[in-house]
Amino acid sequence: MKAAVHIPDGFLSTPVWTTLDAVAAPTVVLIVRRAQAGFEESKVPLLGVMGAFVFAAQMINFPVGIGTSGHLVGAALLACTLGPAAASVVMAAILAIQALVFQDGGILALGANMLNMAVAGVFAGYLPFHLWGNSRGRRLAIFSSGALSLLASAVLALSELLISGVRMPGSVLGVSLGLFAVSALLEGAITLAVIEALEKIQPGFVRRPVAGKSLAFGAIALMAVLLAGVGVLLAATTPDGIQKLGLETGIAGRGHALISTPLSGYEVSFLRAEWPRKAGAGLAGLGLIYGACALIGRGRRK
Amino acid sequence: MHHVVLERWSRGASPIHRRDPRAKLAALLVFLVVLATAQQSLPAVALALFVLLAGALLWARLPLMGALIRAGIVLPFTLVFAAIAWMSGDPARGLALLLKSYLSALAVLLVVSTTALPVLLRGLEMTGAPRFLLMVAQFLYRYLFVISEEAQHMAKAAASRGASVRGLTGHGARFRAAAGALAVLFARSYSRAEEVHRAMMSRGFLGHFEPLFAPQFQKSDAVFAILASLAPVLVRLAVERTV
Repeated sequence: MKAAVHIPDGFLSTPVWTTLDAVAAPTVVLIVRRAQAGFEESKVPLLGVMGAFVFAAQMINFPVGIGTSGHLVGAALLACTLGPAAASVVMAAILAIQALVFQDGGILALGANMLNMAVAGVFAGYLPFHLWGNSRGRRLAIFSSGALSLLASAVLALSELLISGVRMPGSVLGVSLGLFAVSALLEGAITLAVIEALEKIQPGFVRRPVAGKSLAFGAIALMAVLLAGVGVLLAATTPDGIQKLGLETGIAGRGHALISTPLSGYEVSFLRAEWPRKAGAGLAGLGLIYGACALIGRGRRK
Repeated sequence: MHHVVLERWSRGASPIHRRDPRAKLAALLVFLVVLATAQQSLPAVALALFVLLAGALLWARLPLMGALIRAGIVLPFTLVFAAIAWMSGDPARGLALLLKSYLSALAVLLVVSTTALPVLLRGLEMTGAPRFLLMVAQFLYRYLFVISEEAQHMAKAAASRGASVRGLTGHGARFRAAAGALAVLFARSYSRAEEVHRAMMSRGFLGHFEPLFAPQFQKSDAVFAILASLAPVLVRLAVERTV
């Protein structure tokens, strides 16, 4: 049972991946800086090795039902042990290695995948633990951390695919939402079981959530949960409805001509001379993002 | 294991291997964007781009068949979506998903199998990607195989004691056993990281890697970057004109 959705290149329409890359780049840079501030830079081996652990954890199978098995995805477990910013960096590094070395997830779609799993997955997952990790409902909080982290990233990935115009009949959509729900419950159960086992070995591993500290953290976490919630609502409507909504809200920012419905006659003729301009605009956009990030980075270093 | 293959490939010697990582990354980005935005007469464009990639693979003296098979890693995921698109009456989109995701994977594979990963990450760092993140990725890649092997040993040990995930009874106990194994793996990884850190400190680790070499962006790299970026654009333009 494969729960984590790594979107390959070619699935997202151009406006969707450019927008998500544009959002992901500064977000990841910000989180990296935050993690770096709260973490001695010399501790970097720890984050790397824990990333390797998450990779390796996929080899340990958990029985799910008759003849099937699942495995840990790990965003919530990392968030509860290393803290959300560091966990986010580890997940981002994992996604980069997966995209480069294992061709699991695309390069242009890396921004989308990072937002889904390294940002939304980690921060949404950390939210219940952060809020109720010290209370009497601690076990429930850890369980929902795991479940929410998986649900947030899976639903975001699904809605990105739908907005990009990947068609899914209602039945398939229902099945995949059901699958997400099962995977989410499983991730919650695994996260809880591993954390309880960890505390038996050595209690120091699991963080004590410090209440009400960071505004930025709360904002990102809430945003992730909200986005995932909107995603559920979107996914519950028909794909056409989603495309329409994408058009109306201008979610891609570039108007409806770019929401790709390939090979429909009108657009083919429209695109005949348009694509070099579009591709150029995409590249120029990436260049702008790059320039902005480089400038911010330089400004911060001074 | 395929990553070992990748290690061997990326240390080969060819004109492409010798180019600066930044030049290859720039060309890769252009290729991916050209492919991602292709819509008109996509099968023909895809075929032409495929020929381009295959030529580059041969030029890099990589085993063509091996690379083509390795890039097929994306197919299981893609096939599901392609089948769904097909069934819901949009075979063109299904085909587009297949072609685009496969060719993108092949292009990425071409770059990572002609550039050793540390060099590639160094190239990314020099283009401004956050160094901390890249260092974490570097460590992750270094210890990936160590920790994975440990996990495999644990799984094998559990299997030899009669544990299996496939069975009809005792789910609860087996679930807890797997959780225990993961917790042990976590603790071992953690303490291994601390040992690694201590060893590095004792050897004077300053908190960042000192590269043994700094890739120099030479004229030939600039020429390569320009030509390799132009190639997919021209190929696509030519195909779209003729078809």
